[in-house]
Amino acid sequence: MTDIAISLEEFRKFREFFYRKTGIQFEDSKRYFVDKRLSERIRQTEAGTFRNYFTLLRFQVSGEELQQLTNLMTVNETYFFREEYQLKCLVRSILPEIVARKKTGDVLRVWSIPSSSGEEPYSIALYVSELWPAINEWAIELISSDIDTDILGKARDGRYSVRAIQNIPPALLQRYFTPIAPNEYRIHQELRDSVEFTRVNLMNPLDTSCYRHFDVIFCRNLLIYFDDLSRRKAAEVFYDALNPGGFICLGHSESMSRITSLFRVRKFPEAIVYQKPELP
Amino acid sequence: MALIKPQTPFPDAQFPVAGVDSLADLLTTLNEPAPPARRWAARNLAAFTEAVPDLLAALMQETDASVREALLISLTEIGNAEAVAGLVECLRKEDVVLRNAAIDAMRSLPGAVAPIMKNLLTDPDADVRIFSVNILESLRHPDVEQWLIDVIGQDPHVNVCATAVDLLGEVGSSKACTALEALRSRFPDEPYIEFATRLALTRIREA
Repeated sequence: MTDIAISLEEFRKFREFFYRKTGIQFEDSKRYFVDKRLSERIRQTEAGTFRNYFTLLRFQVSGEELQQLTNLMTVNETYFFREEYQLKCLVRSILPEIVARKKTGDVLRVWSIPSSSGEEPYSIALYVSELWPAINEWAIELISSDIDTDILGKARDGRYSVRAIQNIPPALLQRYFTPIAPNEYRIHQELRDSVEFTRVNLMNPLDTSCYRHFDVIFCRNLLIYFDDLSRRKAAEVFYDALNPGGFICLGHSESMSRITSLFRVRKFPEAIVYQKPELP
Repeated sequence: MALIKPQTPFPDAQFPVAGVDSLADLLTTLNEPAPPARRWAARNLAAFTEAVPDLLAALMQETDASVREALLISLTEIGNAEAVAGLVECLRKEDVVLRNAAIDAMRSLPGAVAPIMKNLLTDPDADVRIFSVNILESLRHPDVEQWLIDVIGQDPHVNVCATAVDLLGEVGSSKACTALEALRSRFPDEPYIEFATRLALTRIREA
């Protein structure tokens, strides 16, 4: 079937609208990627033309089509050491600042949500264990949550394709993974045991009310799937979950400043993150 | 030291969990001195439509940003005519943060805002009319374009029309062209209107 042509002006019009709704910015170089997905949705919704589709996107009361398109524009396979600059920021800037406020014997708490199949929490565990010089002086609790119980099972199981682990340096791969089948590795028990996996629906206060006293939250590439109100509710959950002065790391295309003014922006050499203000 | 599993999964919740509190308890907690307590109450009052007057009263006097955010989220979740009427009052306040928060909240409530939009766009206060056009920027409603066309056709204030033209450049169709041409004649000595109208027409015609 022939693709529906998207003109340059239409691409620009869409790009501006989509950025305002999601904070996701497409450069000119992404035009093929965007046009392909737009024409796919125009066909599937039987809108016929970009103009009709844009009207649907813009004015549909339920916002369902915008959500569909957002999912399509943001589909990403997760993998180890994704957005590694934030992991570097964790060990080089964030943790040193946090422990400067802690007393000997205090425990550091990190929350990674969504866990997906475990790549992110295990990446944090690997990075902290291997690259944070003060790891032997402090105890860290790492909790990772997801709404999907099937995916939590996979995360606990810790089996990964070669593709998922391709960014892990060979020395770490050898130390923490065992090949169990052609193109499949399993992360060591020791590391699997270092992460507590829990089921959480961020929109349910019954689920989230006991998540408190965290020093760092990783919530990457989740809020882009939420509508405005849900994003604000999620931001509130994180605000309550963090200690004063605690940090939250979002995905590269996400911005807490566009959701709420509750957090302040912190620019570290490695990454921009958000911080809950310390008590006055 | 190293990575450890939490001994007890999580610390106890600071406050009772949702669904346990009665309306009366939550309204009392809404006046507690500690912001986390007020935030908790504000958030859980979303389950009670009868709490709208209390949520609005609290919103007008709340100074803690996190509690204010929780109050606004609960009012948005309830989203009935009474809540929206209270948000409209926020548009008339001098407090910029409160005003912007109310605009954001109203953008999320197309069903409740649409019936009063014509009144908002003809409010005697030009600032309220500008804020109402700002609400249209992200309001998912099929009448947005027509409301904007009505604004540029009738509003006597150049700044209100300029705000509407900017938005029409993004959401307008050929249906808006006549009104845009007419606007140029209404404000022939306003260079911004000339510029914005030309830009909007170009974008509409090229799209």
